[in-house]
Amino acid sequence: MSYIHYPVISVMGLFLGAFLVEIFGSKNKKVRFGITLVFVTLATVLTYLLIKPVFFDQEIISYWMGGWKPEAGYAIGIGYEIDGLSLFFGLLIVTTFFLSTIYSWRYMEKDHHLGHYYTLFLMLCGAVLGLVFTGDIFNLFIMIEIMTFAAVALTAFRNNREGALEAGFKYLVIGSLGSSFTLAGVAILYLSCHTLNMAQLAALLSEKGLDGLTGFAFALMIAGMGVKSFIVPFHTPAADAYTTAPTSISMVFSGMVNKAGVYGMIRLVYVVFRAMGLSSVQLLLVLFGTVTMFVGVTMALAQHDFKRLLAFHSISQIGYVLTSIGLGTYFGLFGGLFHAMNHTLFKGLLFLTAGAVLYATGTTDLDRLGGLAKRMPRTTAYFLVGAAAISGIPPFNGFASKWMIYQATYEKAVSTGNIAFAFVTVIALLVSVMTLASFIKVTQAVFFGQCPLALTQTKEVPFSMRLPMAILSLLCLAGGIGYNYVMSYVLSPAVHSVSNAVGYVDAMMGSGYATAHKVTMLQSEPAALSVWNPVMWLLLFVVVLTAVTLVALTSEKRRGPVTTGQEQIPDGKYATFFGGEKSEHSHVAGSDLFWGFKKDWKGYFRVAGNLHSGNVNDYAVWTVAATALITLFVMIFIV
Amino acid sequence: MILFNYITAAILLVLGMYIICTQKNLIKIVLGMGIVDYGVNLLIVSIGYNDGGSAPIYSFPDLINGAVHHFVDPIPQALTLTSIVIGACVDAMALSLVIMIFRKYHSINSDDVRRLRG
Amino acid sequence: MPDFILTFLKTALHVLIFPGLLFVAIGGLLLAGIDRKVLARMQRRIGPPIVQPFFDFFKLMGKETIIPNAARPAIYKAAPLIGTASLAIMMLFFPLFGHQAAWGSTADLIVILYLMTIPAVAIIVGGSASGSPFAGIGISREMVTMMAYELPLVLVFLAAAKKVGGTSLVFSLDSITAWQQANGCLLFHWAMIPAALALLLVIPAEVGTQPFDVAEAETEICEGPLIEYSGAPLAMYKLNTAMKMFVMTALFTVLFLGGINLGGGVLGWVLGGLLLFAICAVLTILCMTLIHAVTARLKVEHLFKFYWTVVAGLALVSLVLVWFGL
Repeated sequence: MSYIHYPVISVMGLFLGAFLVEIFGSKNKKVRFGITLVFVTLATVLTYLLIKPVFFDQEIISYWMGGWKPEAGYAIGIGYEIDGLSLFFGLLIVTTFFLSTIYSWRYMEKDHHLGHYYTLFLMLCGAVLGLVFTGDIFNLFIMIEIMTFAAVALTAFRNNREGALEAGFKYLVIGSLGSSFTLAGVAILYLSCHTLNMAQLAALLSEKGLDGLTGFAFALMIAGMGVKSFIVPFHTPAADAYTTAPTSISMVFSGMVNKAGVYGMIRLVYVVFRAMGLSSVQLLLVLFGTVTMFVGVTMALAQHDFKRLLAFHSISQIGYVLTSIGLGTYFGLFGGLFHAMNHTLFKGLLFLTAGAVLYATGTTDLDRLGGLAKRMPRTTAYFLVGAAAISGIPPFNGFASKWMIYQATYEKAVSTGNIAFAFVTVIALLVSVMTLASFIKVTQAVFFGQCPLALTQTKEVPFSMRLPMAILSLLCLAGGIGYNYVMSYVLSPAVHSVSNAVGYVDAMMGSGYATAHKVTMLQSEPAALSVWNPVMWLLLFVVVLTAVTLVALTSEKRRGPVTTGQEQIPDGKYATFFGGEKSEHSHVAGSDLFWGFKKDWKGYFRVAGNLHSGNVNDYAVWTVAATALITLFVMIFIV
Repeated sequence: MILFNYITAAILLVLGMYIICTQKNLIKIVLGMGIVDYGVNLLIVSIGYNDGGSAPIYSFPDLINGAVHHFVDPIPQALTLTSIVIGACVDAMALSLVIMIFRKYHSINSDDVRRLRG
Repeated sequence: MPDFILTFLKTALHVLIFPGLLFVAIGGLLLAGIDRKVLARMQRRIGPPIVQPFFDFFKLMGKETIIPNAARPAIYKAAPLIGTASLAIMMLFFPLFGHQAAWGSTADLIVILYLMTIPAVAIIVGGSASGSPFAGIGISREMVTMMAYELPLVLVFLAAAKKVGGTSLVFSLDSITAWQQANGCLLFHWAMIPAALALLLVIPAEVGTQPFDVAEAETEICEGPLIEYSGAPLAMYKLNTAMKMFVMTALFTVLFLGGINLGGGVLGWVLGGLLLFAICAVLTILCMTLIHAVTARLKVEHLFKFYWTVVAGLALVSLVLVWFGL
């Protein structure tokens, strides 16, 4: 069987699995998990098999459903098209849902109606995978709708959890507003170009340029994709949904659902509308990205729920990705895609550790946790890896991609002479420090410090939950150390295919179609990016760390109670110093750890807290207003 | 004539968004979502409309000969059908969520359904 | 693979002896001694001998290490060593007086920025792992201090990069030094003087000396993160503080006085090392001892406000001036 069928089999397999689970899997838990695992593994393996043709041989796979090839220069069938960019996001997606499936086995064991859970899960996976593989813009909309539908149902799945239902409802309202914008954009594009195929749209739009009608469609679709990737001010349902969904689903949300929005954004601005040459579009995306990363991280500092904090960090990291992509340079694209990949890895890891804490203790409230490091040592180690990676501590992967993003933004600043981009660099660096701060808060509140009395019996989570965390931790470390290899084997093909609109159009519409419609390459690729070689010193760093850890582990001295004759008496010198008060189990809780900082910013935190009012009307106003602003901006500065 | 369709579609869209933004009753918000959907559907179906055109049921030879060239575009109609189905599902799900919310919060006023905030 | 082994040995030499661990440790401890001696003289005391920090270090190394029951032993013991390793590595990115840096790269300013956070993170994680509530308050203050000085530091770096690079991206200390060799030290370009002042004010907060020692405030929270530490790990933390003095003042020297050239050869290296040490000593006295002697400890919120308004303002003035070609 030829590999051109793999993408469609992966997507269809997941949807088929959803039906089979619903039919056969409602009684027996092994049957339904077996069916899920089979189809998830199938999709994962088939997508990984595409690496060779797409990444190494630089091939663009096109597939027409039912063999409906273009007739007289018009694409009338639904086409799937997989280039480097699609496959890059496809790989992130299959990795995420494969690990999430393994994690779900034990994590979800205490819930009821698991048949529905796996059905919705498979629908979500299939929709997101279909979204990145499709070459048809209406099919993209359908996949977005299935994705939203399944995501909402999964958000409200644990409906006994505080706030799950209202989170689902808010997600549904804001999400369907976004979908309506996207659909209106699709309709207007059809009015203007009479085709729904993205490759043909790219060719026709490049020929006629952006006029009032297509500009309007552009603005609507940017807003629609903004809702799906949860950029500020469309981010409010994300914070609620990530918090209340089961953690295996939170991981899927932050690892693939918002990545799908980012993918749509890149595909639209770079390939379909080919608008990245315009400095006003760059400004729009960078502005949204910068606001997103700042608002996300400051809101995260104010949270006192583990998962809600992670949710705001997801929003913040998407801001990094959007900023970097919005620069419109090769360096920016490399940094943005790399950060998208790293975000999938480390945020997935962090959500899984949050899930492990929830599984073991039954709560994610930072004020009620503490001292889990001694009870859950492995989870703590994985969490520390994830926290170091997201804060950009070398040698983990977050450092490598942030390092590129700072360079990209500052290069943009000095090459255009626009000081605004220099402030983007400053904000990006500050956001990184604040990210570190809020993870210090979580570390202190959850894993270190004194253990509350209620949690003294906590046990480490089972192996099948630790395995995905271990894999993600290793990937975080590998991505940071071997990042030259990631650059040349994974990111280069993806970035190349973003700029290669000619190839994208020709693969679908027949060769020569692109040049006939004046499609050009984005810009000439730089001969070589000035890439820094970290391998040597990072290796050394690792060697030093290993030695240090070994020394620290082996030289452990005897401690704890001392036996004197018949009875054991606790040795006072091993007790923690409390200044003479009797205060065992007293813990500096984490939710308000940075009061010194918050006091100086209290005006900002009050306003930001009030704006996240929790009222669905307010959130809808934000969404509509932001869409109107984007439309206005596009109409004034671009058309 | 077709201009009326576009104007109506725009009015429906704005009306729907207005309802979502201002009405506190969750069921009214769901209805607002429905109205936005209808606006978009009307927009799509109007795009395919061709004044005085006939139904698009022809064979390829007819088309190529140029025997017919004035017919209604079938694709937007297919899109509208799909979109209607999706809209119905979304509304059903939203209403079921509202029922569950009412059971849990004993209210369907959006000011009361805001435990997640800040 | 003799080439690889040779490279590895050379790298190991750089990291462990010069200009890495040993050099920084000795230099830092000497600076700490000078600091204490001069401070004592300013307060009309005799003061300890200059080598007193060495005695303190070796004495602490010999003491018993008590790990409290609430602590997580592995992290508790590994944290100070991670800080030491990153400080030793930082020195390898500094080109000294016309010589290439041992590990120069295209954008090492950002690498340095992140490596500088690691010792602070090590204190925070170690303190947190020791399980004491005093440490909990201490790490909160340490982190706020870090957020406070990071903004001016970033602005200083960007200003230097813009001044040197013009319309191209230069984040490399090697290039900055080469530019200074040709055009004179950055300190003597008047647009950069506010940035130099800002960096001088960042140094005491990064090292954690009075009045910016809110994290370890002995009189309030009993050394904060270090409260439960004893023996060898405590010695390593003390060493880290001393090494930070040296590394931060050396950073100022490289960034603003990199135009000094003492020629190549062994003599150049020796002279360069001595000169570096002399400059660092002067800077230590200027921005740490002097301020220490005349001020009392700040509150953490005042510290934050001070850095985000006054110091960041100074650095911002430089950035804007440089941006418009001055």
